[in-house]
Amino acid sequence: MPWRRPRKKVDRPVNVSRAIEETLEELSADEDEDDSVELAGVDGASIVEAATGEADTGGRMPSPLAEQLSRVELSDTAVITPVRSAERTEHGVDLAVDAARSLRLKNPVLTASGTFGQGVEYAELIDVSRLGAIVNKGTTVLARPGNAQYRIAETPSGILNSIGLENPGAAGVAKKYAKAWAQLGVPVIVNVAGYSVDDYVRVVSEFAGIASVVAYELNISCPNVKGGMLFGCDPGLAADVTRAVKQETDLPVIVKLTPNAPDVVAVARAVEEAGADGLTAINTVLGMRIDTTKRRPVLGTGSGGLSGPAIRPIAVHITYQVAQAVSIPIIGAGGVTNAEDALEFLMAGASAVQVGTATFADPLAPLKVIEGLAAYVKIHGLSSIRDVIGVALPTSQQAE
Amino acid sequence: MILEMGRVLARSEIGDLGIVLNIAAPNIAAQARPGQFVHVRPGVRFDPLLRRPYSFNRIDRQAGEIELIVKPFGQGGDWIASRRSGDDLDLLGPLGSAFVIRRATQNLLLVAGGTGIAPMRVLAEHESARRNVTLVMGGRSIQYLWPSRLLPPTVEYVTTTDDGSFGIKGRVTDALRPLLAWADQLCACGPWPMLAALGRMRDEAARASAVFPGRQVLLDAEIAVEQHMGCAMGVCRACVVVTENGNARVCREGPVFGLGEMRFSEGEPATVGLSA
Ligand SMILES: Cc1cc2nc3c(=O)[nH]c(=O)nc-3n(C[C@H](O)[C@H](O)[C@H](O)COP(=O)(O)O)c2cc1C
Ligand code: FES
Repeated sequence: MPWRRPRKKVDRPVNVSRAIEETLEELSADEDEDDSVELAGVDGASIVEAATGEADTGGRMPSPLAEQLSRVELSDTAVITPVRSAERTEHGVDLAVDAARSLRLKNPVLTASGTFGQGVEYAELIDVSRLGAIVNKGTTVLARPGNAQYRIAETPSGILNSIGLENPGAAGVAKKYAKAWAQLGVPVIVNVAGYSVDDYVRVVSEFAGIASVVAYELNISCPNVKGGMLFGCDPGLAADVTRAVKQETDLPVIVKLTPNAPDVVAVARAVEEAGADGLTAINTVLGMRIDTTKRRPVLGTGSGGLSGPAIRPIAVHITYQVAQAVSIPIIGAGGVTNAEDALEFLMAGASAVQVGTATFADPLAPLKVIEGLAAYVKIHGLSSIRDVIGVALPTSQQAE
Repeated sequence: MILEMGRVLARSEIGDLGIVLNIAAPNIAAQARPGQFVHVRPGVRFDPLLRRPYSFNRIDRQAGEIELIVKPFGQGGDWIASRRSGDDLDLLGPLGSAFVIRRATQNLLLVAGGTGIAPMRVLAEHESARRNVTLVMGGRSIQYLWPSRLLPPTVEYVTTTDDGSFGIKGRVTDALRPLLAWADQLCACGPWPMLAALGRMRDEAARASAVFPGRQVLLDAEIAVEQHMGCAMGVCRACVVVTENGNARVCREGPVFGLGEMRFSEGEPATVGLSA
């Protein structure tokens, strides 16, 4: 008969037995700790110190910049209610950049595709209109159900994902979000994915005439159905897609580079020649985790895309290489969590940055990057954030 | 849904079930409903990177407090579970869908497995003043059961353990059958194999005639499910499960689903098709 504790109003027979606690006390008679609430005192240590026993240095030695930025007062973050401020300049500082040819944005901070949905979701939490632009989730011609579970796994300072481009298809996205985007008051860049040149063109055509859409970002980390080669791994294929999309639209076309290409710089050069107005560097880096208990990969697809601070040095390196090879603007992406990270990309030659994975941990990260960049411009008495673009490149060092 | 810096008020160990953190978070407590969850940042840096989702284990609107059960496993769980009184916790919530108890329900049957006790305890606390509540909880052993003294005294509590160390030896589903005829409504939360077993009971009831005891209760049962999450804001689609209406995000459309909506496959959530 099951053990039950009776209700006060019992409407059927129950068999009363001992409480679990009594039995547990017997089982652990030699252990002096029971489950009573423990009221530990506050010891004044920071959360990080408490967790690691180390002084909280934010994971690295605090640079003078980090120290300066940490002194900048961020807006009260305890409770956030979205406030529309489409026209707002951040603290009167000139943060405007050309994120691509003919794509001037009020500041250089975008959100990365796949990490910000269609913009409406995080609008419940932050003022999305303060962003330079948002990039929507990768959109294909037809709806896609995406990959098998698991689709996400944590790695040191990063995550692996294999979502499989789950999306409702271009026509569905355009219909469902055109109005919402206008209400958000933020420029939208549509992230386009496909499995043939024609796919890319058809997706772009679905968004024609939507006022909020200011540019397209071509996700060329997709396999070409003819031969299975990733578009982004082959300079010729990447150029074909770029050329076809340029013919379809008058809006700026940004090509998003994959770090998994054997020669990223060659792809960058090829798409510039094919008419690309800008580049995003970079998409995720291939990686894998194994579940040692189940003795198989954690992700349903085996391998997935690595993102987050773990890939930042790779992304900065590629930005730095590509910046020396092309003359169109570059949007840096990969592990940006704060203004200092963003400055690394800008100094390596990027004109803007995307914040992706960091938003999952800290939904305020994109806004903190904007505020941190504004503070940097002020502290250093620059006339605009554009003054730092490419300053770490060898050519500009020679020029000085 | 908001970002709120919670303050840990108390920390207690509940057998091997996990660490219970009592947290002052008045703004989240004011909005939270049973079945919903909060996404907790495991630290102040980006390593470990992802927040961890925890279902509310207590919602005290008046006091402005919430309670979470945290398993001290893995880098992130370990960090959160080791928070002490006075520590800050970065909370994002309340998130997801909630259990809705029908007005007409007189006899409420709650089914919990492991840390799935969390939302069931909230329901037990909120509903026991209004209706008859029976909670059936299963665990690996007695160490994994929720202490009866932390339940309202009017709640009838039935327990099962895999090893027979307490209550019925067996699974919650074994203890459930005799209670189905009594219940007007059933809510459940626990590991996937438990929910899949409930799904099989529901299939059985669906095939049976209308006089099958508790048939309607099984047909209308609601469950809260778990899935690996990224954003918990509905943007990344890491957390999808397959339902009769196609893919659904556990962090948005869920975690509470109709039992009949959910697609299972061999005791696990059904697999999403590979590509269109
Ligand atoms: C969950 C997830 C989904 C993503 N989906 C897309 C996508 O649909 N299209 C795309 O071009 N990039 C996608 N990305 C890549 C990001 O846009 C970005 O390039 C990459 O994550 C590096 O930036 P981060 O480290 O700031 O996240 C995705 C990344 C993540 C983490
Ligand atoms: S966890 Fe990102 S959509 Fe649910």
